[in-house]
Amino acid sequence: MIVKNEKVSVCVNDSTRFSFNNEDSLLIAMEKQQIDVHFHCREGFCGACRTKLLSGEVEYKVDPLACIDDDEILACCCIPISDVEIQTY
Amino acid sequence: MKYTTFNQKTTDTMKEPMFFGDPVNVARYDQQKHPIFEKLIEKQISFFWRPEEVDVSKDRVDFQKLTDAEKHIFTSNLKYQTLLDSVQGRSPNIAFLPIISLPELETWVETWSFFETIHSRSYTHILRNLFSNPSEVFDDIVVNEEIKRRATDISKYYDDLIFYTQLYQTRGEGVYTIDGETHEVNLRVLKKKLFLCMNSVNALEAIRFYVSFACTFAFAERELMEGNSKIIRLIARDENIHLTSTQHILNLWMKGKDDPEMAEIAKECEQEAKDIFLLAVSQEKEWAKYLFKDGSMLGLNEEILCQYVEYIANQRMAAIGMGQPFNVKGNPLPWMNNYLTSDNVQVAPQETEISSYLVGQIDSEVASGDFEEFEL
Repeated sequence: MIVKNEKVSVCVNDSTRFSFNNEDSLLIAMEKQQIDVHFHCREGFCGACRTKLLSGEVEYKVDPLACIDDDEILACCCIPISDVEIQTY
Repeated sequence: MKYTTFNQKTTDTMKEPMFFGDPVNVARYDQQKHPIFEKLIEKQISFFWRPEEVDVSKDRVDFQKLTDAEKHIFTSNLKYQTLLDSVQGRSPNIAFLPIISLPELETWVETWSFFETIHSRSYTHILRNLFSNPSEVFDDIVVNEEIKRRATDISKYYDDLIFYTQLYQTRGEGVYTIDGETHEVNLRVLKKKLFLCMNSVNALEAIRFYVSFACTFAFAERELMEGNSKIIRLIARDENIHLTSTQHILNLWMKGKDDPEMAEIAKECEQEAKDIFLLAVSQEKEWAKYLFKDGSMLGLNEEILCQYVEYIANQRMAAIGMGQPFNVKGNPLPWMNNYLTSDNVQVAPQETEISSYLVGQIDSEVASGDFEEFEL
């Protein structure tokens, strides 16, 4: 895993902006910000937390099994490794 | 094209489509055209469970305390789920295995069906505990009009595909008149039937279980029928994986990553596929109405349950490029998520650290520095 000293920032739906605080997943980070995100399994196989990645890069901690498009990410099992802009469904 | 259980021809499975290529010969997984199916097999097997592990004995006492309306909701749901898993325990095997041409997909379908048989056995486990004579409940499944109507729509796409596959594999392409009905059999027609069947299965896994799941978990929220709820949580987790697999199959076709003809058919049948999904949604809503005909239950009524079906449908339809046709904002039953989270599924104490427990799992990567601060 890439350990970064500098904090990366997350921008959700062009409105909420916060810095990623080394939470276990992007989903947990968004929940801390009271952002309404869909979720079911929280383990990467159901796809409920599909989110559009507009810019930036994420890294998966477990292999995502759910069906996602090339420009989508699974918030429950990834963490941002650069500043990211995302859009929830 | 006759089906063979061991195709003697040398085939390159890396070049075969998922369906209607050469029959599979060697069950090998060293090279895979679509590796996702093996990953799904691994995940699914790591979820293995047995109904008998869940103690449902307290449910019998709870059941006696339910009102008649609630008893109707509870047993009707179990009947409907029994029907769904009866169909799913056999149909993917019979409909898909004879036409699959990739070993990893073949094994995935077998694994999938096997788990549906675990679900079927768990319904007997639940009902045996609640009723001294569970056969009354089972016997009603084939005569109950509400359930029969759903059974027709679920099984017809499978039956149609199976029948045409049988004609194709025994007689080849052509036009056949059987019992006064004319059937035009060719590969294009078969692929179209396969596409519609896969959409019907996808809608089944995506939508058809959720009204009964919601009722089960609503009982559990009141600390009633908790043994049953534990079993249904395990079933819901499995169904989520099955859904992921049908979504993958549909998306591989639609995005032209498999058989190019299937991409054409997907475009051609776009509306028909959407209609299949929307019919499943409206049938689930009718089911909610039937469940609450004698009265609703605490924490749940027809209206909110229908909103939840629409909410789930939006997500599931978006996942296969069908958009979000319903206007629902936010999750109307937020507590449902607590039951659908994989991590919360109760497992044996030694397994609580990791939900997909692998037997004999050890971390073999130990760096020399790992014991630096260790003193005797």
